[in-house]
Amino acid sequence: MLRAISLCFMTMAAPVFAETTTIETYAGPMDVSVLPDRIAVFDIAALDTLDALGVAVHGVVSPLYVDYVQHSVQNADNVGTLFEPDFEAIATGNYDLLIAGGRSSRVALDLTKIAPTIDMTIWEDTVGQGLDRLDAYGDVFGKQAEAAALRSAFQDALDTAKQAMSDEGNALIVMTNGPTISAYGANGRFGWLHTAMDIPEAVAAVEQATHGEAISFEFILDANPDVLIVIDRAAAIGQDGVTAAVTLDNELVRQTTAWANGNVIYLNSANVYISGGGIQSMTQIVSQFAATFSDG
Amino acid sequence: MTDIYWFGAGVFILALLSIGSLFVGVIDLTFTDIWRDPQAVRLIGISRFPRTAAALISGGALAVAGSVMQMLVRNRFVEPMTAGTGQGAALGVLLVTIWMPQATIFTKMALASVTALISSLGFLAIVRRLPPSQPLLVPLVGLVYGGIIGAGVLFVAYQADLLQYISVWLNGEFSGVLRGRYELLWLTGAGAVLTYFAADQFATVGMGQAVTTVGIIPFVGLVVPNIISRLRGDNLRRTLPLVAVLGAVLTLGSDMLGRVIRAPFEIPVGTVLGVTGAVIFLWLIYRAPSYE
Repeated sequence: MLRAISLCFMTMAAPVFAETTTIETYAGPMDVSVLPDRIAVFDIAALDTLDALGVAVHGVVSPLYVDYVQHSVQNADNVGTLFEPDFEAIATGNYDLLIAGGRSSRVALDLTKIAPTIDMTIWEDTVGQGLDRLDAYGDVFGKQAEAAALRSAFQDALDTAKQAMSDEGNALIVMTNGPTISAYGANGRFGWLHTAMDIPEAVAAVEQATHGEAISFEFILDANPDVLIVIDRAAAIGQDGVTAAVTLDNELVRQTTAWANGNVIYLNSANVYISGGGIQSMTQIVSQFAATFSDG
Repeated sequence: MTDIYWFGAGVFILALLSIGSLFVGVIDLTFTDIWRDPQAVRLIGISRFPRTAAALISGGALAVAGSVMQMLVRNRFVEPMTAGTGQGAALGVLLVTIWMPQATIFTKMALASVTALISSLGFLAIVRRLPPSQPLLVPLVGLVYGGIIGAGVLFVAYQADLLQYISVWLNGEFSGVLRGRYELLWLTGAGAVLTYFAADQFATVGMGQAVTTVGIIPFVGLVVPNIISRLRGDNLRRTLPLVAVLGAVLTLGSDMLGRVIRAPFEIPVGTVLGVTGAVIFLWLIYRAPSYE
């Protein structure tokens, strides 16, 4: 009897709070209740943007890998890792909305069984989807004005970076992983660095591959890029054993135009690799390009 | 006597491959460039020669080490990954990365070869106690032994988010080989030579070093000794030079294939050998031995 009443009450109560908005997610458009009370976040890019919007997070995965969002989640409960959610902690946490994406995208379906879940994976069109996510969070959390401000701040930073890069020539994106290296093209995971800032590719044939194309140091010398964009995989996972600079500082890479002119930019790898597509991450990266290559 | 001719033929092929290897790479280089272009000589010194040498030494040493190891445990199906050597190396890389992340590549390799050696010796100690009448027990015990160490490595690497890092270290690959980054291998080569002249114990040391310097190159330590023993018999004093040459030919040839197939990108030699080695191994199984 009591159960029937409470069930009845729940089904009646639900529509009272449920003012919904339709947002774009990785799985397509979805109706989401606005102003959820307690939220848990399973994606670092999402956490990045929510942090920028000033949205309080009550549950979060650990480790975060990036340090600039640590302060905003100090009081949040642990809900597992990016790859392994702690389903018990989520079930007892009474969350109104779960935000998955990227590395946690494949558990999004499982999360749906516990609480309303949105998959906010950012893939391929990093800048476009990153900004879409920003707008969506603005709608859901009633922070449209903050979202608009962040968007225009990013656009300004991007324009400055474009301006700075316009006379720098072509570039090659490489990732170092211990003693080996791989290359990324304009279609790949980090391709938005080429497309958003209009930086031509030093090698046109680098195919789309999630983990890049294995290359030799001769490849870099042969491509002879004007700018070398370096991401250190080991640093992205909190390892500073062999830094990217040590791997690249050799007799072949030293002969390239980029190295000779000091046009080697080491991106904060956690920002580009872990929280890529987050509004703070994107703004920080394009600002770094602007600062490194500004004339004068 | 015919072993001499086989050896001569092998060395001839190896010499041709080695010269070819100096001219296979991303940057176009022809034979005449050596006289015309000082840049060409530099490129060979910095990149092409070290890579060729690394492939030759590690291929030869792995095959010799596999041969001797198979002799020591009296079983033909033992190789680094079924003797705990590869897993021991992985354990070493993992531990040194967690405890001393700032260590140089050389220190990491040296420590990893120590754990690889300890792990291989542990395997030998276990195998000694097995009844000689049950030869299949050796590779089975090796698989279980390596599996236990490997599982421990996987667990810790997963917890520390180092899975990809470990796999890159262990995937046999020569793309990062440059002057100044492979010289530990010369020690390995010396170990292989010592194995021939003096003490068999050097074989396990050499195997550990090769695995930690260039990663796991599958099948070389398994297929090559078996081919030679099928064709030329089991007298190691006679056949070991052949084993070394064939191991070097297979490894260098596979690395050159890996450089060519998807040029200008690379296919790791471990991947190429995983495919070719499997084919050769099947051929080996279905072909009757010619040496009686």
